[in-house]
Amino acid sequence: MTVLAEGFNAFETKKSPEGTVKYLGSPQDVIKLLSSGKLADHILLVRGGTTTFLSPALSMGAIGIITMSGAPESHLGILSREFQTPCVMTAHLTSSDSRYIVGDADESHFEEMAAQLEGKKVRLDVTDSEVGRVVLVD
Amino acid sequence: MTDTVLDTTQYDVLNTIALKKMASAQGIVDATGVAQGDVMSALSALQSLGLVATIGDQSLPMDDAVPALVATSNERYAALRIDPAVREMADKFEVVNGQFLTVISSWQQIDVGGRKITNDHTDSEYDDKILSRLDKLVARLIQLIDVLSERDIRFDRYAVRFARANDQVVAGNLAYVSSPTIESVHNIWFEFHEDLLRTLGRERNE
Repeated sequence: MTVLAEGFNAFETKKSPEGTVKYLGSPQDVIKLLSSGKLADHILLVRGGTTTFLSPALSMGAIGIITMSGAPESHLGILSREFQTPCVMTAHLTSSDSRYIVGDADESHFEEMAAQLEGKKVRLDVTDSEVGRVVLVD
Repeated sequence: MTDTVLDTTQYDVLNTIALKKMASAQGIVDATGVAQGDVMSALSALQSLGLVATIGDQSLPMDDAVPALVATSNERYAALRIDPAVREMADKFEVVNGQFLTVISSWQQIDVGGRKITNDHTDSEYDDKILSRLDKLVARLIQLIDVLSERDIRFDRYAVRFARANDQVVAGNLAYVSSPTIESVHNIWFEFHEDLLRTLGRERNE
């Protein structure tokens, strides 16, 4: 099992969604994805736990989320629990020492994560109470 | 289109649609207190401006909606943004908001020996404690919102909406605490936070 990234688990569940990672950087990206009808094919990667534009995707059946910042107590964490959508928060790459630091966000951290994860087929392992894992699906 | 400046009713209607991401005319009336006829007129104007799309009975914000809201709020709230009482209120909100997020998380999950498990709401004593804390936080928020309402009466609607949600919770309809699909306390609170940020011209802190 190759763990590509790990972070805080928004909630513990046996759900184990699989999909291709898709980075969503703007409301337009979300609308485009919703319009494509392929929402359920993707694990959604976003920058923050307060990414409000993701709400429509959650209500329309997003299967899993990875955030690069934000805590399980954030708005998105709360929503993910309400919708029971697995969510790994403030994920970091296991192959990199780069970490998100609150109040000192380094753009290169986000770029590296998006570059390393986007397009990969992954499964979210969120069976642990604290740690959520992004596992590569071969 | 990004420099479109809206009149007061158009702003209030479009702002509600943007905060809710999708809203019916009746939902806008309920949230804003604006008369139905005025909401319909504003929706028609916003459609003509290309700021709103209507699908069935729902209105959705188009790409230029937020830029128009930002341009309008920059004018409408220029004085408010430099008002020391408002700035103090916004700072206090950040503290209360942090407490609110913690309380909602505690409503959703119970800490059992360091492990967080889903709250199945069978422990009424636990739930009552959380609801009591939530009630106090909402009361605190309404006090803070009063600072804004004194400067723009539209903010007064949040108190009305919180009271409605609270009535439901007190009646035992616990979905009105945090359900994302109804006018729950969490949804109203979140919309206020977004509204406050736009009013003040601020960005969210991650």
